[in-house]
Amino acid sequence: MPPRRRDGAYVHNAGTSSESEGFDDIDDGNYGDKRKNKGKGKAKDTGKGSQDKGKGKSKEQAYAWEATYTRSWDTVQEDEGGSLQTAVEDLLARGRRRRLLEPSSAIRRTIIRHLMLLLDLSSSMLDRDLRPSRFDLTLEYSRQFIVEWFDQNPLGQIGIVGMRGGLGERIGDMSGNPQDVLKAISDRRRLQPDGDPSLQNAIDMARGSMSHLPTHSSREILIIYGSLTTCDPGNIHDTLDACINDKIRVSVVSLAAEMKICRELANKTGGVFGVVMNEDHYKELMFELVPPPAQRSASRLTGGSTNFSADLMMMGFPTRLPDTSPLSLCVCHSQLKGEGFLCPRCKAQVCDVPTDCDICGLMIVSSPHLARSYHHLFPVKPYQAVTETGLSPSPKCHGCSHSFPEKPSATGSDPTTADVISPLGRYRCPDCEKDFCADCDVFVHDVLHVCPGCQ
Amino acid sequence: METTVSDSPPEHLSLIIDLSPTQWHLSSLDTNPQPLSLRLFISQVLVFLNAHLASRHDNTIAVLVALPGKNVMIYSSSDTIEESDHQSPLDESNTYQPFRAMNSAVVQRIDEELGAQEHGETEAPIGLVGALTKALCHINRLTHPTASANPSIAVPTPPNPRILIFSVSPDLSTAYIPLMNSIFSAQKLKVAIDVCKLYGEDTVFLQQAAHLTGGLYVNPERRDALLQYLAMCFLPSTAIRRVLGMPTQDHVDFRAACFCHKNIIDIGYICSVCLSIFCSPVPVCSTCRTKFPIKTLQRLMLNRPSPLSNGHQRTASPAPQR
Ligand SMILES: [Zn+2]
Ligand SMILES: [Zn+2]
Ligand SMILES: [Zn+2]
Ligand SMILES: [Zn+2]
Ligand SMILES: [Zn+2]
Ligand SMILES: [Zn+2]
Repeated sequence: MPPRRRDGAYVHNAGTSSESEGFDDIDDGNYGDKRKNKGKGKAKDTGKGSQDKGKGKSKEQAYAWEATYTRSWDTVQEDEGGSLQTAVEDLLARGRRRRLLEPSSAIRRTIIRHLMLLLDLSSSMLDRDLRPSRFDLTLEYSRQFIVEWFDQNPLGQIGIVGMRGGLGERIGDMSGNPQDVLKAISDRRRLQPDGDPSLQNAIDMARGSMSHLPTHSSREILIIYGSLTTCDPGNIHDTLDACINDKIRVSVVSLAAEMKICRELANKTGGVFGVVMNEDHYKELMFELVPPPAQRSASRLTGGSTNFSADLMMMGFPTRLPDTSPLSLCVCHSQLKGEGFLCPRCKAQVCDVPTDCDICGLMIVSSPHLARSYHHLFPVKPYQAVTETGLSPSPKCHGCSHSFPEKPSATGSDPTTADVISPLGRYRCPDCEKDFCADCDVFVHDVLHVCPGCQ
Repeated sequence: METTVSDSPPEHLSLIIDLSPTQWHLSSLDTNPQPLSLRLFISQVLVFLNAHLASRHDNTIAVLVALPGKNVMIYSSSDTIEESDHQSPLDESNTYQPFRAMNSAVVQRIDEELGAQEHGETEAPIGLVGALTKALCHINRLTHPTASANPSIAVPTPPNPRILIFSVSPDLSTAYIPLMNSIFSAQKLKVAIDVCKLYGEDTVFLQQAAHLTGGLYVNPERRDALLQYLAMCFLPSTAIRRVLGMPTQDHVDFRAACFCHKNIIDIGYICSVCLSIFCSPVPVCSTCRTKFPIKTLQRLMLNRPSPLSNGHQRTASPAPQR
């Protein structure tokens, strides 16, 4: 997604800030309901708690997991002129700071990933504290997640398991084709939430479908959990130990509240745990898991999924035949086809890549697939905000060729953002020392991943 | 022009011209079946650009040139052209002023850039990928107008962008990764990259660029009829192309460049951690410093195809036997 649109979403939130100040009071039917659930979670109450239990908690008192997240409409403030200019700049500044903190050198990342997505399909997913409902929002975000995940992990595979009626339910088999995975969750009626979830059954099922994987690939489980209980046939801690043994990284996104076992699952396997605050935060938590995880040193966690062995693999890059080419038998289905790919070693025609050639066994991948992850290996160094122009500043941005403003902008003098926001609107590449505008800075680092000046 | 096109966005065309002096010299030699000189080419491109601008009043262009070790944007529709000295020659009294201004600006800047080239022994690599990244930055600014701009001014409909590359140089395998990153950004911006290969052999990576972004890759059979190709293939927008019969790309070659020698290879050795590509089995990945097991190396060395069947040797015969 281009960053600009994300900014737009923030601006949108900001626009409604005046109405949402009294959000808790006005929209009590909905928001209060969510608080009630959180109250329940804290108390580890299993039954349907009474309304006043949640109400009893002071509204001002933030829960531990709430403290770490600030709602975007709380942070956006209009300036004296009622304009959002400062707010927008502040958001840009935060993005820039985040980028400066990121390691600029190439870090080792796990590229060949296997992920089991565990969706809670219990009746708790019918709750409407997330709009339109937990269930519908989860399906929508899952779709977006799958598309984005395959975009960044082209050699990865995703499988889907549902949790409902106390059982684990295989919804989509492990597949490297995004269309297959999307199809598995396309039928909303087939996934209708019902009954109680079972973490243990679902995790064991996911574990089973990942047992055959080669050692150099990662195994991950992402649990979307709306319930506050789990009904398990045995001891869930045995399952946790098995996950640690199998080097499976378990991450949990909880829609309701923190459950001890969920946090333990994530912490002990090197995964991430988060409790959803609102719709945007839900997406943020989920999409944190999209980029290939950096390989942390194995010492950080004894049971992390980090110390799998690396390997060198021989792969072939095929030639694609257009559908207008003469018909030929494909080796995978023995069908007469024009369209297809030619194995570079034995010239056999296969229908789709990536695959292993049925004739010579060579792994055939399309090289653009591999190249999608290269921007992780060679990131562009963050640009530095320019505070003083030299003797002869370049009149135009080196990227888009738009002219720089003649004189410094007034808002740029804000001391809170002065370290990362240039009052001149200039950002300089430390390598080629060319100046870029703010738009190009964001575009180069978030989308392009190539410095136009260094080329 | 009012009713039929007003609901569709205007078209923006970013032109990238490869101005390698060596390649253009070779292209103009009489030993070619149809010699094409830079002068002749530029004059046809100007007609094409005028046609693009004339087909709709709010169509825009940007022209970038790639030179050895350098790239510049020499013209953009948003530039204001200062009316320069050469006023009122009689033969220009019948021309449409904006076209004349653009034509002379483009020609003048190309002359300047070529004149500023140093005549060294060897030519530095062409800055084609740099030009592509700049074109993408420019398009990003056009299609995503700054949010902090004054909201009271109505933002005009962002144009429908595409890029057309005129290539005369061979593949630049040194810029493989930046080029691929540019292609993926073009996909994200929904920019089609068209390629017109004017001289020399097909380039694998530009073929991939056109294929992956939904653009056209055209290698004109008759270079003397270039304007015809330009008008028929590259003038229609991507939306109109769907209903026209467009030349389809023949085989697309998905070969890649190895990280170690920048050779273009069809069978490579891939690091499972970072997916770096090597042309021969290596004990340690040079990108991520991963050490590979000895066993794997021994196995791969045994199965290794003979070095001759790999790499450059196949470039001459892209069409495999079927
Ligand atoms: Zn087949
Ligand atoms: Zn084969
Ligand atoms: Zn710029
Ligand atoms: Zn740079
Ligand atoms: Zn090599
Ligand atoms: Zn590596």
